Amino acid sequence: MKETTLRAKSSKPLSAYRLIQALLGALFAAYLIWRFYNVFLDGTPSYGADSWLRFAISGVVLGSVYALIAIGYTLVYGILFMINFAHGDIMMLGAFSGYFVFEALEKIPSPVIDNPNQVFLNAHPVISVLLAFIVGATVAAVSGYFLEKIAYRPLRGAPRLVPLISAIGASIFLENAALLLFGSQRHDFANPVQITRGEGWNIPINGEVVILPYTGVLTIALSILILVALYVLVQRTQLGRAMRAVAENKSAAALMGINVNGIISRTFIISGALAGSAGVMWGIHLGLVYHMVGFIPGIKAFTAAVLGGIGNIPGAMLGGMFLGIIETMGPAYLGMSFQLKDVLAFSILVLILIFRPTGLLGEVLSEEKV
Amino acid sequence: MNKRLFALLSLLVVASMALAACGSAPAATEAPSAATEAPAAQAGGAPAACSDALGCAVFKPGDSITIGLGAPMTGDNAGFGIDADNAMKLAVKDAGDFQGWKFALISEDDGGTPEGGATVANKFVSNPSIVAVAGHLFSGATGAAVPIYEAAGIPMMSPSATNPALTQSGSKVFNRNAFTDATQGVYAAEFIYNTLKLTKIAVLHDGQAYGQGLAQVVNDEFVKLGGTVTTFQAINPGESDYSAVLADISAGKPQLVYFGGYVAEAVVLVNNFKQAGLAGVPFFSDDGVYGQDFLDRTGANGEGSYGTALIPPASAAKDKFDAAYLAAYGEPAGKLSPYSWNSYDAATVLIKAIESVAIKGDDGNLYVPRAALVAAVRATSGYEGVSGKVTCDATGECAASGPVFYVDHNGEWVLP
Repeated sequence: MKETTLRAKSSKPLSAYRLIQALLGALFAAYLIWRFYNVFLDGTPSYGADSWLRFAISGVVLGSVYALIAIGYTLVYGILFMINFAHGDIMMLGAFSGYFVFEALEKIPSPVIDNPNQVFLNAHPVISVLLAFIVGATVAAVSGYFLEKIAYRPLRGAPRLVPLISAIGASIFLENAALLLFGSQRHDFANPVQITRGEGWNIPINGEVVILPYTGVLTIALSILILVALYVLVQRTQLGRAMRAVAENKSAAALMGINVNGIISRTFIISGALAGSAGVMWGIHLGLVYHMVGFIPGIKAFTAAVLGGIGNIPGAMLGGMFLGIIETMGPAYLGMSFQLKDVLAFSILVLILIFRPTGLLGEVLSEEKV
Repeated sequence: MNKRLFALLSLLVVASMALAACGSAPAATEAPSAATEAPAAQAGGAPAACSDALGCAVFKPGDSITIGLGAPMTGDNAGFGIDADNAMKLAVKDAGDFQGWKFALISEDDGGTPEGGATVANKFVSNPSIVAVAGHLFSGATGAAVPIYEAAGIPMMSPSATNPALTQSGSKVFNRNAFTDATQGVYAAEFIYNTLKLTKIAVLHDGQAYGQGLAQVVNDEFVKLGGTVTTFQAINPGESDYSAVLADISAGKPQLVYFGGYVAEAVVLVNNFKQAGLAGVPFFSDDGVYGQDFLDRTGANGEGSYGTALIPPASAAKDKFDAAYLAAYGEPAGKLSPYSWNSYDAATVLIKAIESVAIKGDDGNLYVPRAALVAAVRATSGYEGVSGKVTCDATGECAASGPVFYVDHNGEWVLP
């Protein structure tokens, strides 16, 4: 196999390549140390602790959404070795579902004595949010299931590039379908009043008050919960064992009596449900839903998945968090314009891939997979 | 199998060609065989005046003399395009008919982007019945479109492309009746420093032609006045979360945040203010943000934000236009965007210029000499429009009024 020879080469690299690598690493480390001196020790620090806390909050919230989406990419990649480029748009469908649930619940009156104009959304926030997540995840899971059935299954035996093109086509189709169905304007997510966007716990620090938004905490908590549940599912259950078996070797798994197509379908359902939950979180925390809402997070989450090592679930979580934090803290730390945050994120991706071509926690690919 | 696939594909191609042909039909029926380019020598009954350097547009009886509008008609900034289209339709209606010929307006969606601007411009120059363009609306789209119209000899009158550089490239065809960003920026900086008495501001822009140019002017002017700019930052347009960049800005403790850009990003910014530690710091923005959309989507967060508009001083003509706009579209002029009045005037100035140069030939056709029309638009002087008196200078600046600043109070734009 061609790839085998490539791998053999990379494990016994040329010394010149090693040297350049080391030099690059040393330069980068020196730069970071110099920046550290500039930012924290050199006379007046550019940012107070309050600013750093704000950056961290933004970054971790964003990172946990990226992580959820990234896991969808990684799950599908782990099993089919294809990048599901329509994943971000599945997230968009989830976000729209959550939006419509909230819109509907806002119309249901639920009067109490103190407040005759009370609506269901504000009277039962927990049920409302749960309902939004359930509907969002279900719609996205069903879409994921049919996406695989229609766009990928017929191409199962085709060369690797073919399903990729099909995925891009599916992505454009979903975006335009949403454009036609829901219009091009941005819709504002109506949150229950208890978790109004921008409201939160006040943390006094450094003579300032930093707001830890309720929606942000909800996002982080839910994504950690979902990630743990997923980890248990993959590592401890029969379905998870079957998924891992299919990921390892499809034909051997089939010989062992595993329904490979069924497992692939279920993988798409799980990855869809994750994307749908991420979409609802996106809506609750950031408040905007429109047909292209999945595009940028989709690209970022794909980056996160590669950063963490595509095909590796904890890697995708780590990659997502890492990317979110780099995007918010990086420009401040390096003293560059925030307009360049994506340049920074992708430069770091390139750097990491130079040193660790399989990503932060990248798995060693078996020959069979390659 | 392969053969069948090929047959299917070719069928699709043929079908799409047929559809495309249908799509362009409306324009074609208005002036198909008629409005052809006629260099003077060939046209039999052409009047002598049509020995125009750029040729003439020829209209047979019953054709419409067409004005193009390139504007964002869909997407986040669609309000601007729809408003301009509304106002210009009124202008075309009010123009009535000219020696038996009617005027018409064709609006195309350029998305407000340079690529879209170039695409629409190419489409317009290939339509012989279009003699003038009342646009484009956004500076980026306009910049890409100007060279294309320049080559074809189609005069422009933009109601809203305010980037200063647009009139400085020596273009013969480009004119605008909006005040430039330079004017707006200077007014805004003076307003913040002198009227609001603030000395420390942060300046933010979206990195696009309009926003960045404007923010730069505000920044320079504010420093010149003696104020301090704590942070000068750019954002990536189109994102849903700007809390990090705002946290960066809040570290500088500004008294006000100026933003050069459009409403889509302004809404996200204002909604992120509190979380970024900027609660109570007023947001100040430009005429790309002013409008109903900002009020609706920021709600309580937008309270105390400043917007810029070019609502002209009251006059009988303005009142008449306002009434006509309200009657035709059910909402007041200036609600969708602040350019309603400018749009009406832009289209009207073009129509007047066409009327001043058009010649009825002996063959019963109407000839519009293109180079003469370009010159006539630039020569506009003392035209009393709804936005005030429109007079163009040698570079194509035709603004009738300066900017007015408004503040968001209880979900309404009011004078501060």
